[in-house]
Amino acid sequence: MDNLSAGQALVRSHRGAEGPWRTAWRKLRADRAAIMAFGVLVLITAASLAAPLYARHVSGTDPFATNLNGEIVIHGETRQVLEPSTEGLGLGFTPLGPTWDFGPYMLGADNQGRDVAARLLYGGRNSLLIAGAAALICLGLATLLGVVSGFFGGLVDTLLSRILDVLWAFPIFLLAISLSIVLITQSITIGPIEIRSGSLWLPIFIIGIVYVPYVARPIRGHVLSLMQAEFVTAAIGIGASPWRILLYDILPNVITRVIVFVPLILALNMMTESSLSFLSIGVQPPDASWGTIIQDGQGLLYSRPIVALAPGLAIVICVLALNILGDGVRDALDPKSSIRVA
Amino acid sequence: MRSRKVFSAMMAGAGLAGLTLMAPLTGAAAQEGKAGGTLKLLANAAAGTIDPHINYTLQYFQINYILYDGLVTFRKTGDKTGFEVVADLAESLPKPDDGGKKYVFTLRKGIKFSDGSDLTTADVVASFQRMFKISGPTTGTLYNGIVGADKCLKTPATCTLEGGVVADEAAGTVTFNLVAPDPDFLQKISIPHAAILPAEAPLKDTGTVPIAGTGPYMIASYDPNSLLKMVRNPHFKEWSKEAQPAGYPDGIDYGFGLNDEAAVTAVENGQADWMFDPPPADRLAELGTKYAKQVSVHPLTAMWYAPMNTNLAPFNDIRVRQAVNYAIDRAAVVKLFGGSNLAQPSCQILPPDFPSYAPYCPFTANPGEKWSAPDLEKAKALVAASGTAGQEVTIITEDTEVSKSIGIYLQDVLNGLGYKTSVKPISQNIQFTYIQNTNNKVQISVSQWFQDYPKPSNFLQVLFSCASFNPGSDASVNISGFCDKAIDQKMVEAQTATIADPAKGAELWTAVDKAVTDAAPVAVLFTPKRIDLISPRLKNFVFSPQFYWIMSQSWVE
Amino acid sequence: MLAALVSRLGQMVLVMFGISVVAFLIFFATPGADPSARIAGRNASQETLAQVRHDFGLDRTLPVQYALMMERLFISRDLTSFVNRGQKVVPTVLEAIPITLSLVLGAAVLWVLGGLIVGVVAGATRGTWLDRMLMILSLIGVSIPVFWLGEVANLVTQSRWHDTWLFSWVPPLGYIAFTDNPWGWFKALVIPWFTLATLYIGLYGRVLRASIIETMQEDFIRTARAKGIGERRVLLRHGLRTSLVAFVTMFGLDFGALVGGGALLTEVVFGLQGVGKLTYGALQTLDLPMILATVIYASFFVVMANFIVDVAFVFIDPRVRDAH
Repeated sequence: MDNLSAGQALVRSHRGAEGPWRTAWRKLRADRAAIMAFGVLVLITAASLAAPLYARHVSGTDPFATNLNGEIVIHGETRQVLEPSTEGLGLGFTPLGPTWDFGPYMLGADNQGRDVAARLLYGGRNSLLIAGAAALICLGLATLLGVVSGFFGGLVDTLLSRILDVLWAFPIFLLAISLSIVLITQSITIGPIEIRSGSLWLPIFIIGIVYVPYVARPIRGHVLSLMQAEFVTAAIGIGASPWRILLYDILPNVITRVIVFVPLILALNMMTESSLSFLSIGVQPPDASWGTIIQDGQGLLYSRPIVALAPGLAIVICVLALNILGDGVRDALDPKSSIRVA
Repeated sequence: MRSRKVFSAMMAGAGLAGLTLMAPLTGAAAQEGKAGGTLKLLANAAAGTIDPHINYTLQYFQINYILYDGLVTFRKTGDKTGFEVVADLAESLPKPDDGGKKYVFTLRKGIKFSDGSDLTTADVVASFQRMFKISGPTTGTLYNGIVGADKCLKTPATCTLEGGVVADEAAGTVTFNLVAPDPDFLQKISIPHAAILPAEAPLKDTGTVPIAGTGPYMIASYDPNSLLKMVRNPHFKEWSKEAQPAGYPDGIDYGFGLNDEAAVTAVENGQADWMFDPPPADRLAELGTKYAKQVSVHPLTAMWYAPMNTNLAPFNDIRVRQAVNYAIDRAAVVKLFGGSNLAQPSCQILPPDFPSYAPYCPFTANPGEKWSAPDLEKAKALVAASGTAGQEVTIITEDTEVSKSIGIYLQDVLNGLGYKTSVKPISQNIQFTYIQNTNNKVQISVSQWFQDYPKPSNFLQVLFSCASFNPGSDASVNISGFCDKAIDQKMVEAQTATIADPAKGAELWTAVDKAVTDAAPVAVLFTPKRIDLISPRLKNFVFSPQFYWIMSQSWVE
Repeated sequence: MLAALVSRLGQMVLVMFGISVVAFLIFFATPGADPSARIAGRNASQETLAQVRHDFGLDRTLPVQYALMMERLFISRDLTSFVNRGQKVVPTVLEAIPITLSLVLGAAVLWVLGGLIVGVVAGATRGTWLDRMLMILSLIGVSIPVFWLGEVANLVTQSRWHDTWLFSWVPPLGYIAFTDNPWGWFKALVIPWFTLATLYIGLYGRVLRASIIETMQEDFIRTARAKGIGERRVLLRHGLRTSLVAFVTMFGLDFGALVGGGALLTEVVFGLQGVGKLTYGALQTLDLPMILATVIYASFFVVMANFIVDVAFVFIDPRVRDAH
């Protein structure tokens, strides 16, 4: 009797605790580095969203149409967007270099004569969208698998854990290359979702799956340790139904963990998107993402390195900001967790 | 044929331009060459099996020509006569008998294989049987006209070619009997797939294990991941300078694995002598100026083209196909390939300087002999008449830089004509077989074709006859699925006429070229040129229109 | 304990089986993957195509093909490539291992040393400008995509500044065997080492710093301090030692993954013909036998590393044993 009421008190006090969230928010706001990082991310997102405005009013060209015979007046001098080599044997063309003026071809042209700066902004949209949507898929799936695995244990746990092992050890590039060929001409239907060939959902889907084990495992471990925690054993002791425990005791605790993962997974996704695009899988031309612009720029690394350098720097800045924000969120929410940042 | 890797960048108006650019190099040829040293060659990757009866890549055709001999071969020279067939292991070119169905070759005496054994008539018969027994790639298309070939194709294991290839050991002759006269027979047995190997060569694809040959060099070792090493064949004695001249270098090392960018740097700096792959577009300007003396550019008998599926909407309407042809700005496409010094706009199937070639371009602002500018009005009018505007079109390209950028350009063109277009680049290793299979429902793609032998049939009949259209198969090189009974008939007539009267046959082929071009199953884009980058120490770079660089004829200082 | 080990081993084999089956199925689900036409050659006749398909067993049912391929991979060990016909897959992978090992071992030395220095220095100087500086650098290191870093390194050392005294020693891209030329081996690998290690130095430095700071607040450290042991000695002998457990675990996992082909992007960018490049090449040419061999090889290392780390944990930490 005594025991039971003590248990109830413990459970109730735990459930009633809204404190951690408020503390976390206060801590995060005090973290100047994290706030700055967040500001940078907001700026980058806003700039990307403004891509059509930039293309129309500043660069003045369609960043998706080839412009092979275009000409442009720079500092009163008419120049071709793709300048032919006229000396020696006259082989090859060199795209216009950066003008460094806030105007057309600020960062120069790529090998199709398109404005690199405008494509960079449009590419940012896709990179951010892919990273974000893939993070949603990844965290959703991982939470589901981790919680189910840890909560039910036994055979379910063993089975799910081994599936996660397969996924973890599976070379993602094979998965990505095969899936991209499959999906190039045929649309694929997974339950209610239909992925049209060439749509952005393809890279989102691939990247979303890849890091599931990375998140699901620590969540499973967390659930396992929660199941041993006093307030849960107490809840079991007072005869609470498993669903009640899952909903009121396990999930709220797991959610804080999941939130800690958000910026880190976003950063990881961004890196993965660029790697996949580097291997020519991912966003389909003439659309762009930062990764595909790096890939385009690879062919110009020698004569116009800016085409590959600029999107690379954009990725570094974004990922850096996400990592700093991730540190802040972790310190605020879950200072003791030992999550890897990679 | 298609090269293992597409030539993403090559050249000029005509053979003349190539020769002009060559001047500083050929100038050195006047002096006598010196034997010795080792050539160091580079390629991104190996090109598969070194079995000469199997390998079907430009990369290894080039070396197989100095490793192996056929009964006949193409003359190894650097001018246009390099397209002519000359006697190699045979004493002389035979005159066709029996109305063009019979050829009798007399074998030269005293020739030995690199393993020391003598070349006999039995080796010739065994080599032709072997081609079929190991399912050589061209047995069903180039050599199916030999008597007994049909049986060999059905049951390769028991292939005898009885009555088709007959040896007379005492007389030292081999007789070939054909089912029907074939004006291209000698050209067909001049390619390495008809190389003569020792009779005891294994009856399977030998893969990485070399087979003895008769050429001036032999393969010492082969590892597709790192190196193919060629050394002098100790048993080689020159028997015909025009067919198989002795070589200068003592050895040739062909290294694999370095990327284009690194290979260019290595050759520029003299760490290697030559690279197989075309230099990346990014380096062309530098090569044309700073390293102009190390560069030579030559026209190829090849084409880049966009096959359109004549059995799928909207390209099942000839007006749409013609509209695409009218709308393409070929000068712009040429730019994507490296500029007007590396490619020449073209509208017709046969490439310049090819037998039966007569300049023809109906799809231009002022129709006539040469392409001048796109005619967008006409193109739009044709699309309007077809009523197909607004349909969805997907372009399948390779994932190489040039192919992809041409695809993106074509997307703009098609969008301009009113279609909803998307581009899908896929791995260059899959793309070629993918676009052939009708099951994949490819509407339009970007591809290339390089000649196997210099006869119009190698372009027109191979790519556009009903026989080379095999629905549902990965091997259906008539990518457009173009099958016009009347044109098919004309091709047969041209082929037949060639046997009796080559000049008349050539005229008929010219007419076929025009007829196919007018029907527009494809949009021919341009004729590419090849750019070769060589080290400063390499001398006497001889470029044959058939084999490209003849490695054995260069020496190093 | 033994039973747990055996069952864990069994599960490991199951995982590797699963991976090979998935790789196999994905290959056959890919349109255009059928290698017959590519093997048969351009413009092959239909008879030739059918013959090739039969010779390579591609006309058999999938389970039979899978079984045959595994038999040739593991038992007769004579499985050959679909692309470079006659090239035996097993020796090819074996030959690529020293290159990958050279790359990963060198980078591992760098990142362990770098990670230790960064972690310890930052941990010891917690809160100072030095600590902050190191942590920002680490974060930047963690945020750079490795292939991009490699490209920039190539741009600088191979073309832009190649002719200056600074980088004139850099050899052309590619691997030089240690047995051929040890000094050349070193010169060819030193830039790839730094490129690959950058990420891990940042990562390990950060983890170690966090762990040291945490450890330094534990009771036994306070006891040690109370005993009058010097601060540096406490840090190095007690603090660092405890923190190294996490460090070693991470190292096991990362090293396994990299030796298994995780250094793919680095190998591709620097033209090193290791297992990663082999995998990449096989994927590009859809060379099924080579894909299967490299995938199974890679998963072996990843699963093995996981397994070793798990087992080690069971010995180190009784709580984990209970949780299982």
